[in-house]
Amino acid sequence: MAVHKEDTSHCYVQFGRMALPNQYFAGRVGSKFIIALRDEHKILGVRCDKCNKVFVPPREYCERCMSRLDENWVELSNEGVITNFTVVRYNDKHLPRKAPYVLALIKVDGADTPFAHIVEGIDPSKVRVGMRVKAVFAKETTNTILDIDHFEPM
Amino acid sequence: MTEYYGSKLEDIFNTMEERFRPEGAEGVDAVFCYDITGEGGGKWRVTVRGGELKVEKTEGDLEGCSVTITTDPKTFIGVTLGKIDGGEAFSSGKIKVDGDIGLLTNVLPKLFTKYTPPAKDVTAKDIIDTVVERFRPDKAEGVDIIIGYDITGEGGGKWSIIVKDGTCTVKEGLESDCTVTMQMDAKVFVGLNLGLIDGTAAFTSGKVKIEGDMGAAALSAGLFERYRVGVVEGAEELVSLKCVPSIDQRFATGPVMGKWFDGLKEKKFYATKCPKCGRTQIPPREICAVCRVRCRDFVELGPKGTVTLIDDVYYASPDPLTGEVRETPYAGVYIVLDGASEEEAFAHEIKKEDIARIKPGMRVRPVWAEKRIGSYKDLLYFEIDE
Repeated sequence: MAVHKEDTSHCYVQFGRMALPNQYFAGRVGSKFIIALRDEHKILGVRCDKCNKVFVPPREYCERCMSRLDENWVELSNEGVITNFTVVRYNDKHLPRKAPYVLALIKVDGADTPFAHIVEGIDPSKVRVGMRVKAVFAKETTNTILDIDHFEPM
Repeated sequence: MTEYYGSKLEDIFNTMEERFRPEGAEGVDAVFCYDITGEGGGKWRVTVRGGELKVEKTEGDLEGCSVTITTDPKTFIGVTLGKIDGGEAFSSGKIKVDGDIGLLTNVLPKLFTKYTPPAKDVTAKDIIDTVVERFRPDKAEGVDIIIGYDITGEGGGKWSIIVKDGTCTVKEGLESDCTVTMQMDAKVFVGLNLGLIDGTAAFTSGKVKIEGDMGAAALSAGLFERYRVGVVEGAEELVSLKCVPSIDQRFATGPVMGKWFDGLKEKKFYATKCPKCGRTQIPPREICAVCRVRCRDFVELGPKGTVTLIDDVYYASPDPLTGEVRETPYAGVYIVLDGASEEEAFAHEIKKEDIARIKPGMRVRPVWAEKRIGSYKDLLYFEIDE
């Protein structure tokens, strides 16, 4: 079968870079949470008195009873317990650490909900559910949850 | 007169006449009275009758009011500017209403266009003047750089910021030994400092030109507190984060699209012609989308053509290559280039100055970039052919 050979004299490659501008507004509740982390090194939650639950990160409304919670702030401990974890084993430029690193769900004392954060200062193979950890705050602020740099075992 | 949110009560009442919409006042016969108490307060009567408006400031009692609004200056200005929720201010008692409340909720919004505060023109000099006080010595340990700013356009100038031994000094003019020099328009400079323009996007789109040590340019941003304008004492801080991740792109033209781009370089429009139906396709494509046969023949179209349709665009999506949002309005036009099949219009853009005049049926001609490199940017826009 005859193969038609294409004329490639007009073929070339163009390069570009696609920018994806993002803006995230933390809201009033989220802002207060971040600012307390940043300026006072405190982890704040909100409490639903009706459901007897403390939520971290804080949210404006209770997910169970829809009560408004943003006036009911509670200060929580900087220490907590690992309720679950995974080891991230691949590298990607958007990830906060080089692999392998531990991403854990940590329930700080006084809270009823855990949140995800990085655990460092321990061999990933030695991390266990139930382990006690404490927050280490970042030296440089980024106005994000990474104002806690990581958690480390106590 | 006390200012709140950068505006005064006078600003709002004095602009009522120019903001008045007679078409919204049809059949309205009402007297709005404002009793604004506290520091910087005052009393105003706003009469709307027979499609006419009368605004008067009064010292005496407010009489003959259809509705009276009592509040404090901060709440009034806040609600007017949309900084405070009117409904909440009302239910929390910060605004008291006496009389026909329906006039406020239903009639008033139709009577006036929205008040916008006079833009506080921040100049490049304002920003440069605060550089020293915004300097953060704690970030400048061991830093020894001279940052040159060559700000062009209105309100521009040349400055050098010298950071050395944990100190910061500003000199007019560009030092001969700048570590890095950044050149940009004054508008861009102000926009960057106010956070209205994204730095990465401004750089990739060429609005900011950096000469010298790029690392120093990146470092310089961290040496200073952000420039802030009109920060209200005791205001609530809100966190808003911006980031511009980027994805590298590679586009292989193939022989057909490549021919099109090469044509643009020579100010030519190449279309493919279908061997079966004779239809032209522009930009050219390998296969006729109707007959599904391969098109091997190219024909040259135009360069002039006839407009068939016009799109006025008032909201622009961000440019996917830079993340920038272009100026509006602009107008897209569909043009049947000379020699093209009747239904094969080519979509492009009309010159800004011609937007108001362009009509379907008009003849247009292309305007080309001076330096053409075989890119979509080679063709700038079309203009009316006169």
